[in-house]
Amino acid sequence: MADAVIVVALLLVAASATVAVATRDPMRQALVLAVLGVVLAVLFTVLQAPDVGLSQLAVGSALTPLLLMLAVRKIRRRGREKEGER
Amino acid sequence: MNGWLLAATVSLAGGLGAALWGVATGPLRRRVVAQNLSTALACPGLLLLSQAYGRPSYVDLGLVLALLGPVGTLVFARLLADELAEDPPRAWGLTWTVAGLGAAAVTALCVATGPSRAMVKLLVVGALLISGNVIASRALSGGFRGVRGG
Amino acid sequence: MTRRARLWVLLTGGAGLAVLLVAACLRLPHFGGDRHPYGDRAVHASLARRTANTISSVNFDQRAFDTLGEMTILFAAVLGCVVLLRQTQDERRARPEPADVARPVRRYALLVLPVALLTGLYIVAHGQLSPGGGFQGGVVAATALHLLYLGADYAALERVRPVGRYEVGDALASSAYVVTGIAGLIGGTAFLANTLLPYGTFNTLSSGGTVPLLNAAIGMEVACAVVVLLARFLDQAVEIEEESGR
Repeated sequence: MADAVIVVALLLVAASATVAVATRDPMRQALVLAVLGVVLAVLFTVLQAPDVGLSQLAVGSALTPLLLMLAVRKIRRRGREKEGER
Repeated sequence: MNGWLLAATVSLAGGLGAALWGVATGPLRRRVVAQNLSTALACPGLLLLSQAYGRPSYVDLGLVLALLGPVGTLVFARLLADELAEDPPRAWGLTWTVAGLGAAAVTALCVATGPSRAMVKLLVVGALLISGNVIASRALSGGFRGVRGG
Repeated sequence: MTRRARLWVLLTGGAGLAVLLVAACLRLPHFGGDRHPYGDRAVHASLARRTANTISSVNFDQRAFDTLGEMTILFAAVLGCVVLLRQTQDERRARPEPADVARPVRRYALLVLPVALLTGLYIVAHGQLSPGGGFQGGVVAATALHLLYLGADYAALERVRPVGRYEVGDALASSAYVVTGIAGLIGGTAFLANTLLPYGTFNTLSSGGTVPLLNAAIGMEVACAVVVLLARFLDQAVEIEEESGR
């Protein structure tokens, strides 16, 4: 019965990873990725690996979204400038 | 199977499942709210897991999530400010409901812990979590309206 | 070599790898079982050196050399980013516009910033006692600084973040790790061997010999590296614009 929580965490990881791959728009993908990070941290915790879970939380909850969103923003602005020149 | 583990399993399955559904479908305003609530739902789950396994040091995971989860939502709120200004999310009922769930979980854990330093830590995590999520919700519904370009 | 021959070489190699993997998987201990030959030895070694968190003992004592490699990878990756994302000749800097953030959000950011910094330091300092360590704490502390960008504006962040100093800090912390390793050599044993300092009392802040020192070095390295990395990304996203015909 104690394995139930492991099964739940594994299913959540599989589902959110699939959604992250299936989402096309990078901004929405970043949102799914943030949720995936939290779910992965839960999986690591129930597998008794809190150190890895802590790494995942530290990187996945704020740092990865910030890097991704900054990159998306730069690319969009460049696109807008190109359009302005035309 | 102890009750804490059951509570953690149910809250993680229900809460994160619902958050995942919310973030995967629908308009952008719904997705950002779901992302914010995923933090608010996972953090009590992690605290319950720490109690279930009898390992007080696992509370650190809840602490880090309560601190950085809302920061992640602020990132989205700031960098998606233009998109969200056209169609601002309104989810105060949901936000306060989830905050109430978090407060209930923290209260139950505090009662189980008894007055000690561990309880103070739990209370700090709870305060950070609830204030963080309410503020992040505020930021999503127009907190960065005065931000342009940078 | 023709395309066909290359395919055969690939298939042979792949088949060999698959056979080895299957053979290894068949002899793995069962999920959640009670036989952990490596785990038992690692726990024994970490208890002998009075390090309460076995993972830290593995990372910074038994496998400290691997951690040196990981640190070098992060260092090189950040260096590559700095080179790639520099300001080129056809780009100019635009002054970032001041941002008018809603008051509760601004207050929250300014209140949480010191709390998050303190949490980062706590996670680094307690690396040998509880889950966490240099990497996790360093990332938390570096993220905390960027609350200034989120809660105020980019100019506010730039005032407390002289990137040059963080670059120096990154390099200094990396060398501190290597120097601690070499100090082990001088002590008469091996590179990065944990024989330099007394092991201390189990489950106290000063336990574990060189583990806390290496943890601190990694914490500083990661925090500085993340700050420098984000500085480059923020520069590109907020300040640097391409010269256009307008």
